[in-house]
Amino acid sequence: MTKRIPGLRPLVQGLFFFGFLYLLFRAAFPLEMRFPVDLCLRLDPFIGLTTLLTRKDIFFRMLPGFGVLAMVALFGNFFCAWFCPMGTAVDFFDRVLFREKKRSEPFDDQSLRRLRYGLFLFSLAGGAAAWQLLSLIDPISLISRTFITFVFPGATWAYNHLLVEAVGLLSKNPATLSTVPLPVFKAGVVIVIFFGAVLSLSVIRKRFWCRYLCPLGTLFSLVSRLRLVRRAVGEECTGCQRCVRDCPVGAIPQDDPLTYRRSSCINCFQCLDCPPKAVSFHFSRRGARPAPAVSMSRRYALGALGMGLFGALAVKLSPLRGKAKLKNDGLIRPPGALPEDRFVSVCTGCGECLKVCPNNALHPAFLEAGLDGIYTPKLVPRIGYCEELCNFCGRVCPTQAIRSLELEEKRLVQMGVAHIDKTRCIAHDTDKTCLVCNEQCSYHAVLLDEKKRPRVDEDKCTGCGICENKCPVDGESAIVVHSTGGQKRLTPQPESPALG
Amino acid sequence: MTIFDSKFSRRQFIKGAAAALALPKSFSSNPLVKPYVPETGELADVVVASQGTPAQLLQAAMAPLGGMGRFVKKGQRVVIKANFAWARTPEQACTNNPELMAALIKMVYDAGAKKVAVWDHTCDNYQFCLIRSGLKKTAQNAGAEIFSGHGQNVYQEVSLPKGKMLKKALFIKDALEADVLINFPLPKQHFATEVTLGLKNMMGLTWDMESLHKIDLHQCIADISTIRKPDLVVVDAIRILTTNGPKGPGKTEDPVQVIAATDVVAADAYAVSLFKNPRTGKPYLPGEIAFIKNAHGLNLGEIDLSKVRLKKVQSA
Repeated sequence: MTKRIPGLRPLVQGLFFFGFLYLLFRAAFPLEMRFPVDLCLRLDPFIGLTTLLTRKDIFFRMLPGFGVLAMVALFGNFFCAWFCPMGTAVDFFDRVLFREKKRSEPFDDQSLRRLRYGLFLFSLAGGAAAWQLLSLIDPISLISRTFITFVFPGATWAYNHLLVEAVGLLSKNPATLSTVPLPVFKAGVVIVIFFGAVLSLSVIRKRFWCRYLCPLGTLFSLVSRLRLVRRAVGEECTGCQRCVRDCPVGAIPQDDPLTYRRSSCINCFQCLDCPPKAVSFHFSRRGARPAPAVSMSRRYALGALGMGLFGALAVKLSPLRGKAKLKNDGLIRPPGALPEDRFVSVCTGCGECLKVCPNNALHPAFLEAGLDGIYTPKLVPRIGYCEELCNFCGRVCPTQAIRSLELEEKRLVQMGVAHIDKTRCIAHDTDKTCLVCNEQCSYHAVLLDEKKRPRVDEDKCTGCGICENKCPVDGESAIVVHSTGGQKRLTPQPESPALG
Repeated sequence: MTIFDSKFSRRQFIKGAAAALALPKSFSSNPLVKPYVPETGELADVVVASQGTPAQLLQAAMAPLGGMGRFVKKGQRVVIKANFAWARTPEQACTNNPELMAALIKMVYDAGAKKVAVWDHTCDNYQFCLIRSGLKKTAQNAGAEIFSGHGQNVYQEVSLPKGKMLKKALFIKDALEADVLINFPLPKQHFATEVTLGLKNMMGLTWDMESLHKIDLHQCIADISTIRKPDLVVVDAIRILTTNGPKGPGKTEDPVQVIAATDVVAADAYAVSLFKNPRTGKPYLPGEIAFIKNAHGLNLGEIDLSKVRLKKVQSA
């Protein structure tokens, strides 16, 4: 191949980005898509690899990711430049915000290039020690999380306000179109700041994130040393340095443009815009001799691995663990979540479950689950409760940190237990009849005494939190769900088949 | 009951339209608009129809009230306050019977309504309620719009000068502005209020339902009915929930009845007898239900069934 089709790459990137957004958008009721809404995450082999390490079992959900990895090994890294939504976002903001300034001035980036591999080994070692550092830096997880916790709520807010304005213009017609419940995520601010920081790194170099930090890109780099589609530069090269300037990942060394860093190249084909047409890409075992690879000393590699293990240990023992692992740690996990230790190590914090939850019940934890549990989902019943006949969170979880359960099974998972604060409860504190908790309870777990005062049957309560959510007492609810230090399976109640 | 077939009303409609065109404006009282007086001469207040399919029951119950034409005029917007507050299947009798709702919507359209909207403010997530109750499909197939009041923008703040406990409430705007409001409740046992009926059903037109429990539920239910009295009450007693109400699932019974009434208090006063009072073992008396008493106290209707014209008919 010797010619580049102008505009093709942005077009493909744009299409795939909208595909990515569409899949996120469809991670919602009624969840009846032909193909999985978490497809983008399943196509990510870095998540696949770390899940392999943290879960210690392979399962078929992650197979597409390894398919992508095999393709990259064959053709070279085509993913970052053409399909990666994070890469598209970085490219877009590079173009909009930081148009060529000082960025092409030469600088020795050997140490930065090494950092990327170091970080990769660090997170891999951390993953093996059940510390999911990946949840912070995997690009697909990162961009999904940002869009889910920040962009979609923002878009919903805008829609709701525009709707009210639009209806206001039609004075005669009664307003019949309801606004959409607005999702809120407390940790969304932190998430979007991190995302913004990643984008603004591009002020130093084009695609700074992609070339020096991204662990997924590093994985692709490692395997694309074997690539069969290779770049060749002919005799016609005049040394004009155009390709050196244009390369978005700095894969062509300035002092020797006839070579390229085979593992860094992302197949964007920008260098085909060569004035003397000296550059071409071929299927071949030969091609231009590769530029010297990143020099990683043994000391550096072992150091990164060791730091990963040590970091995992430090995080696991950190006093910043919050209340995690206490009997009541305030962490009510989604129905079907793995046991706490495994849950925090397998969850990638991608946010699919937060998006799909119809009641905005799931929220990303910040530090309350400990440093290793950052962005893991927890149930906040006062904001939203777990819908009885819904099992969406497990169905969209790409790593199955929340197991996909049938509705019958899900109805029997006890996430926590509700307790009544008799000093706040209307029925206990006054002689009024309230019983909102009783009428809302889907499992007949709120029973009444002879004076119509509620009490909780702990053998039936699933901790879904509908009672806490709907309790009319101002401020803190008079009936509060507490976690019980692990989920358990309740015995089925034969007399009331809810699914009838 | 054949004269109430849709064929007849369509013919009547064409005749009426022709007459309206032919007559000068001052005489243009569309015959369709006139209440149809059945053979008995006198209109009933509460009609209880039993035996038959949902559509037959509705026809039979509406005839002695004067037919739907008495309530719905040509070109009007009609709001039906249904009950699809819970994500339950129709067989579980926690939400309205879809066949009866389809028949009701059809009857309203046959009477000349321009648009029918079905409303409820759901307790469970609205998306699950609409699908699981089967009522979204039912309403849309019958040509009606179905809405759930999950957004606060569809409500309007109203003051309740006649209300004893409740002075202000957010009420669904569409139900306030509609030409005709039909209350379409489903009788259920209810832990907090013993039973839920027509008066209780109106709670689903307000925004902050849970806070009413905090104030004084029985009085608030009565107070809400002072905002807008429904023009017509159609009680869906084909299958009722007798335990674990209002959310269920629980035990159900099949009285196979439709109760149509102009007076919501009287309709409730009759419908309570479908349930047994666990203390006495006998059917409930209207006076045993506080919200019915309170509504009667606010002059919203008649609690004493001996004072209303109650008619029992059989449709098959």
